[in-house]
Amino acid sequence: MPSYLETTVDKFIFRVATDRHYSPEGVWALAEGDRIRIGLTDFLQQLNGDVAFAEVKPEGTLLGPGDEVALIETIKTNVGVPSPVGGTVAEVNPAMELSPEAINQDPYGEGWLALIDAPDWTTDRDALLDPEAYFELMTSQAEEESKKL
Amino acid sequence: MIVPCSGIGKTYGTVSREAAFEVIEDLRPGSTQLVALSLLVLGDEEARAAVGTSPTVTIDGCKLGCAEKMVRESGGGIYRSFAVLDTYRRHRDLKPDGIAELNEGGLQLAHALADEVVATVDDLLAGDEAVPHA
Amino acid sequence: MPELPNRKVGIVACSGEELAEGTVTRLAALRVLHDMRPSETVTICLPLFLAGGEGDRAFARFYPTIAVDGCEKRCAARATEQFSGKPAAGVVVSDLVREHGLGQPEGARRLNASGQQAVVVTAERVAGLVDELLGAKWDRRTGSLVKSEVTPELEPATPSDDPPQAGCACGSAIPVQKVDVDGRTVSLVALPLIFERFHQAGKAPGADVADELLGMVKVYNDVPAGADEAYLAALAHEYAAFCGEQEAPR
Repeated sequence: MPSYLETTVDKFIFRVATDRHYSPEGVWALAEGDRIRIGLTDFLQQLNGDVAFAEVKPEGTLLGPGDEVALIETIKTNVGVPSPVGGTVAEVNPAMELSPEAINQDPYGEGWLALIDAPDWTTDRDALLDPEAYFELMTSQAEEESKKL
Repeated sequence: MIVPCSGIGKTYGTVSREAAFEVIEDLRPGSTQLVALSLLVLGDEEARAAVGTSPTVTIDGCKLGCAEKMVRESGGGIYRSFAVLDTYRRHRDLKPDGIAELNEGGLQLAHALADEVVATVDDLLAGDEAVPHA
Repeated sequence: MPELPNRKVGIVACSGEELAEGTVTRLAALRVLHDMRPSETVTICLPLFLAGGEGDRAFARFYPTIAVDGCEKRCAARATEQFSGKPAAGVVVSDLVREHGLGQPEGARRLNASGQQAVVVTAERVAGLVDELLGAKWDRRTGSLVKSEVTPELEPATPSDDPPQAGCACGSAIPVQKVDVDGRTVSLVALPLIFERFHQAGKAPGADVADELLGMVKVYNDVPAGADEAYLAALAHEYAAFCGEQEAPR
């Protein structure tokens, strides 16, 4: 179980897991041996609302950093999810087919999107944010959102 | 007994409420009754007796499942739980919008959900033991 | 630069389905939340609140909340009191209907004309209460508004009265700092963020800055009348210590 950085804006509590890296777009990347597990941050899933459908690129898909790895449809919007790393989709979370609400319920755990074989992880990681840096970015984004009415 | 969540934060809550009204007012007025979730949770004797003695169907807006959770914790026996989000997945063309007032997609989605609930109510009334319980 | 929490009011409506008045509460609350006071109010979803929504309960614990109920059973008010704290204000639609001589609202699913009138009256009452609450001070301990002419005793806050720093048991991450005010320990909400903001704005410790700090502290905390001098001294001391820590070589 990771530990979390946490902030509250109005009644919304946003958490950032401290054991992984983040793209500025709000996608996390967790190294597991040779593979990188990816998913949406707590802020991004709260911002976009309840996930109705999650379509993740199938196994074998070749991606560059920033290429769309998933399309998430929520009640509010459709969100194209850019991959934080380059590589090949090795595994797609089977829960995304029938229970994509896992993204909302457990964004850093059961709600993972895909496992990526990322041969250039060291390079890709340098372009990502550490938890503290993402936490600062996310907090300012959350506060900006709370002002939009 | 029908217990909707009636959540006020999302359009799904209004769909749950509208679907519940359609069941008790239009589709099965004589054989269903609505129980307000907050009365139940706050210990209203009539509400507790109702869910304690009659089979209950909960209608939640989203997968947070507040109505299902609180009916269980209040000692109610849930026959089946519905979530608007699940119905939406089966009717992707009926995208709901609006909380104070539903759009056409939301009204149609409520209607589709009400039909699903009525199928369960009819199973209950027919005493169909083969229907799975939640 | 960290942002201080904006002071807002929570609105919790009963949304009861059994009476038309429940629908009135729902529509009136939504009117206030979305149209009349959108930047000053936050929705508290009652079913989520009852089911344990940590954000909603934490919000209602720290910020004033208005309960909007349809009838005398007052589910919204009772739930708020049971799971967070006494609401700052309450409105009961059936009372308002009588007060204004309106016709009986009917149609829980589709309100009649009287119901629609009740929505307007209720929304106006709630919006007025929002304005009052944002202009007054809310004492979380006693669950009452403190008007400027009231002078409550300066009472020490025991350490158990308020949650510790971010991550308290209620799930809120609102930062709180304990300070010594004239020999008594007082917990001040948002103080760490206030200090951060002042420091990052380049404000050096001093008498003028202490005055400004006190003004900001009063937005989020109750400072009893007659206690300004004691608070000024405490804030000046704490802020000087804070700045010293920020500037100390690492």
